[in-house]
Amino acid sequence: MPPRRDADFNISDDSEPEDDELDEDYNASRTIRTKGKGKGKGKELGAYAWEASYKRSWDTVQEDEAGSLQAAVQDLVARSKRRRCACSWGDAPIRRTIIRHMMFLVDLSTAMMDRDMRPSRFDLTLSYAREFVSEWFDQNPLGQMGVVGMRNGVGERIGDMSGNPQDVLKCFLDKTLLEPAGEPSLQNSIEMARASMNHLPTHSSREILIIFGSLTTVDPGNLLDTVDACVRDQIRISIVALSAEMKVCRDMCERTGGVFGVALNEGHYKDLLFELVPPPADKSPVSRLAAQAGEGQSELMQMGFPTRLPATAPPSLCVCHSRLRSEGYICPRCNSKVCDVPTDCDICGLMIVSSPHLARSYHHLFPAPAYKAVLELDGKEASACHACSLPFPTTARAPLQTEEGMSPHGRYRCPKCKHDFDAECDLFVHDVLHVCPGCG
Amino acid sequence: MSSPSHLSLILDLTPVPWDALSHSTPPLRLKDFLAQALVFINAHLALRNENSVSVFGALPGRSMILYPPAGSTQVEADENTFHVFGQVDEGFMRSVEQEVEDLQEVEEDVPPALVGALTKSLCYINRLSNPPPPSNPSEAPPPPPHSRILLFSVSPDASVAYIPFMNCIFSAQKLKVAIDVCKLDESEVIFLHQACHLTGGAFVPITQREALLQYLSMCFLSETETRKTLAVPTLDKVDFRAACFCHKEIVDIGYVCSVCLSIFCQPVLECSTCRTKFSPDTLLRFGNMNLNGHAHTHSNGTVTA
Repeated sequence: MPPRRDADFNISDDSEPEDDELDEDYNASRTIRTKGKGKGKGKELGAYAWEASYKRSWDTVQEDEAGSLQAAVQDLVARSKRRRCACSWGDAPIRRTIIRHMMFLVDLSTAMMDRDMRPSRFDLTLSYAREFVSEWFDQNPLGQMGVVGMRNGVGERIGDMSGNPQDVLKCFLDKTLLEPAGEPSLQNSIEMARASMNHLPTHSSREILIIFGSLTTVDPGNLLDTVDACVRDQIRISIVALSAEMKVCRDMCERTGGVFGVALNEGHYKDLLFELVPPPADKSPVSRLAAQAGEGQSELMQMGFPTRLPATAPPSLCVCHSRLRSEGYICPRCNSKVCDVPTDCDICGLMIVSSPHLARSYHHLFPAPAYKAVLELDGKEASACHACSLPFPTTARAPLQTEEGMSPHGRYRCPKCKHDFDAECDLFVHDVLHVCPGCG
Repeated sequence: MSSPSHLSLILDLTPVPWDALSHSTPPLRLKDFLAQALVFINAHLALRNENSVSVFGALPGRSMILYPPAGSTQVEADENTFHVFGQVDEGFMRSVEQEVEDLQEVEEDVPPALVGALTKSLCYINRLSNPPPPSNPSEAPPPPPHSRILLFSVSPDASVAYIPFMNCIFSAQKLKVAIDVCKLDESEVIFLHQACHLTGGAFVPITQREALLQYLSMCFLSETETRKTLAVPTLDKVDFRAACFCHKEIVDIGYVCSVCLSIFCQPVLECSTCRTKFSPDTLLRFGNMNLNGHAHTHSNGTVTA
C-alpha cells in the first residue's frame, strides 16, 4: 500500500511554512518508500514508517541573531538541491542504452478529472508531459517517442513514433482532443504500444511509460498474458500512478525491469516522471544488452560526418529530390549532396549523421566525477570557487542538523583535480555542463 | 531597451603561436592585441551602464580568470578616466602580466586549456543568470544579463578534448549563450566552427591583422538581441567531422558502436567504452570492403577475418 493520507499528515502539510521544506519531506518519504515499500510499521513510533520522516519543520528552522529566517531558508534550499543531485548521480553504470524508443501511455479516463492535484490531474499531466517530452528529447537526441491515450476502454493512437520533439509536443497541445472519458484499458493500450515497437532494431531500447490515474482497468483478456509478451519482447514498462498502488501494476514493472512509483503530490509526481528522463542503466549481468553482447548481435555501424553548405552557396541539385537548392550536406565518401541529415546517402549508401547529434549523449558515458563535500579545512584551500571565482564563506555555517553530503563550508571537491567548487557550480557542472572545470 | 549584456572573453595565450604571430607579416604582437582588446572591452562597457565583462585566459595545461580579479583591488581614482574603464584596464593588464611572468618552460605540444577556460566562463555566466537571493526580499533582483562568449583563437583544434568541448557547446546552447570566435591565425579549427554554428555565434577569421579593432567593433560589439536585425558574418561551410575515441583523430567516416555511439576510426572487435563485442559478420563486412578498396583510408588493418 502507498502511504495513506490521514488527517495528521494533511494538517501538517497545509501548515508548512516553507515550500522548500515541503520538497524536503517528499524526498525523504520517497527514500523510505523505496526501501521499505511503505509497508513497514515504525517500531519506535508505533506508526507507519513514513510518518517518522515528517519532521516538524517549524522546530528545525531557527532564527539568527537578527531574528531573520533568511539564513535558515537558504540553508534548506541548498540542502534540498543537494539531496536531489545526490540521488541522481551515483556511481556511473557501465552500459546505458543510448538509442531509446518509448511509448508514452496517458490515462484519459474519467479518473483523470480528479482535482486532488491542482488544477486537475488531467491539466497537470498535460503540462508535465510537455516538459517531460522536451527534456527527454534534449537528453536522448536519438530517441523516438509515440503517444497512446487510454479512454473508453480502448487504446487510442494519439501520436506515431517520431524522433521530432515538435511532433510529440503537438500531441499534448490540444486539450479538447484529449478530453477524458470512460474507463482505461491497460491491456488494449499496452498491446497497441507493443505492436508499434515490434519492428525496432535490437540495439535500441523499447520502453513503455504509463501515467495511470485510475484504480481499475477494463481488459478484453488476461492482462498477465500481455505482461508475459512484453517480457518476451524485452519491453520495459514504467508506471507513474496518481491514485494508489495496484499490485498488478507493480508486478508489471518489476517483471519487465521498469520503475513503479505513486505520486504523493504535484512535486513528487514531477520528480517521479523526470527520473525516467536519463537513459536506463543496464547493470544486471543477465540483461538483454549484455546477453546480446555475448551473442555478438551488436553491430558496428559505419557513419559519415558531412559538411554543411550554407544558404549562400551556389545552388546545385540534390541527390534525394533532384531539386536545385543552396543548402545541403555533402556526403564525405561520394561528395554527393543530400538535403537533410540523418539519412542514408542515395548514391553510396553511407549513413550520414551530424556528429553533434551523437555527441549530445556522450555525457551519459563519461560523466563528471561526483564531488565530495569538504568537511574539514586544513588551511591550505583556495579562497574562491575554482569555477566561478566567487569567494567561499569564511565562517562555517553551523548545520541545522548533521546531513550527509552537505559541507558546512560550502565547498565540494573534485576527487580528480582536487579543486574546490561551491554548491551552485557543483550543481551546474553535474546537471548541465558534465565537464569538471578543473580537469578540463 | 532590453536587459543588459555580459561579455565573456576567452584569450588563448599560448606563447608559441603568439611568437609566430609577432613575426608574421603583418605582425600582431600580444601587447598590441591586448591594447585593441581593451578598447573593445571599453566600447562594450560604454554601450550601457549595466553591461559587464569577464575575461578568462587559456595557457598550455591550465586556465584562469583574468578579470574580475579574485580579491578586491583598489584602483587609484583618476579624474580623467571613467572609473569602470580604469578598473578593467588595471585589473586585466595586471593579471595578464602576472600570468605571463609565471609562465614556465612548457612543452610545445601541450594544447591550451580552452575547455577549462570555457567551462569557467560558463560557470561564471550561470552564476550571473542565477544570482543569489537579495538580502532584502522586497527589492526586485536585477534582470539577468544576456551573455555571450568571444573566443580569440590562435592555435589549432585539440581533438583530445572533443567530448568535453562538445559538452561545453551544449551547455552554452542551454544557457542561450552565443559563442563567437575570432580566429587570429590560419590553423584549422573545425570544432570551433561547430561551436559557432550550434550556438548561433559569428566566426570571423582575421585576414588583415592591422585592422583587428575594426573587425572587433563591426562583428562582435552588437549584442545578441541586436544581431537579429544585423547581418553578422556567419560561416559559409560547417564541417561536422568528429574525433574518434580510440586515437583522437579527426574522421569524416567513422565506425560507431550501436549501443553507446562511441566513434572509432577503424573497425574494432570490442567497444572500448561499453565493452560490447561486435558480431563477426559486421566486422567481416568492413574487412571485405577494405579488400575491395572502397573504404576510407583510415579503415585499413586491425580486422583479420
